[in-house]
Amino acid sequence: MAPTVLIVDDALFMRMMIRDILSKDGFEVVGEAENGVEAVERFKEMRPDLVTMDIVMPEMDGIEAVKQIMKIDPDAKILMCSAMGQQPLVVEALEAGAKDFIIKPFQPSKVIEAVEKALKE
Amino acid sequence: MAERKGLSPLQLDALREVGNIGSGNAAVALSTMVDKKVLLSVPRASLVPLVKVSDLVGGAETPVVGIYLHISGDASGSMLLLLAETSATELAHLMVAGSDAGDLTTVEQSALQETGSILAGSYLNALSQMTGILLRPSVPGFAMDMAGAIVDFILVEISQSDDYVLVIETEFDILEHVIRGHLILFPDLGSLDLILGRLGVSD
Repeated sequence: MAPTVLIVDDALFMRMMIRDILSKDGFEVVGEAENGVEAVERFKEMRPDLVTMDIVMPEMDGIEAVKQIMKIDPDAKILMCSAMGQQPLVVEALEAGAKDFIIKPFQPSKVIEAVEKALKE
Repeated sequence: MAERKGLSPLQLDALREVGNIGSGNAAVALSTMVDKKVLLSVPRASLVPLVKVSDLVGGAETPVVGIYLHISGDASGSMLLLLAETSATELAHLMVAGSDAGDLTTVEQSALQETGSILAGSYLNALSQMTGILLRPSVPGFAMDMAGAIVDFILVEISQSDDYVLVIETEFDILEHVIRGHLILFPDLGSLDLILGRLGVSD
């Protein structure tokens, strides 16, 4: 069965782009969320194998959403996808429980590579 | 913030370097996004009277698309990506496959907004690395209006007590296309001492 993915990003354009990259590579995108609050709700409903998570979003940012999702499921696999590559934020996201961090803009191959690596952990 | 009479040539030079490194990183990001070469102008750094800011981007009346965000964290300020309306349309078409002339669609608008967000993110990543200052961008806003209106809107928040604003501005061009834009950082004057200190050019 194809691994299931939840895409979290406030930008419609970026959700479409990530969905496209993952679908072409055989992943099943089961949902999308446009802020941290929605992300936590969708995660509870869908229990996806992997979550891609933006950081800067309205309502609740991605790092806070990671913390909340990890409380729901300590084995959740979350991959950060953000334009904000500043060291303290990367560290904060990884400490919150994210498996890896890719910095936008990204090449499709990098996304696939990071997703596959996160799923194996 | 104490009255700031002006900036020394050395300080302005250091701030131009901020523009250079920030926009250099942003240009790499833009080039990756559109898969084209991106050229940059030499950055400008200056204290500009509020009423003159829109002159830097072709005059207050120019119809533009602006993507703007606020910066918080160790230092504060604002960042603005300004594209002439024609450039914005062309960039949107370049990014969203299958789109054609006419008004911007929701997806095209989102693509432009995300471009602003990613360019600002790359710019701030470089600036943060250079200074060790954490800079958190807000969710980007999007506006289509005359340049003067957008600039005024952004400056209202950062310039309540000052008649001047510090502008670090770079112009970029996407080759093979008539796409030209401005990337502008407005550091709050209250954060300037910290930034100059980290750059090693305190008063």
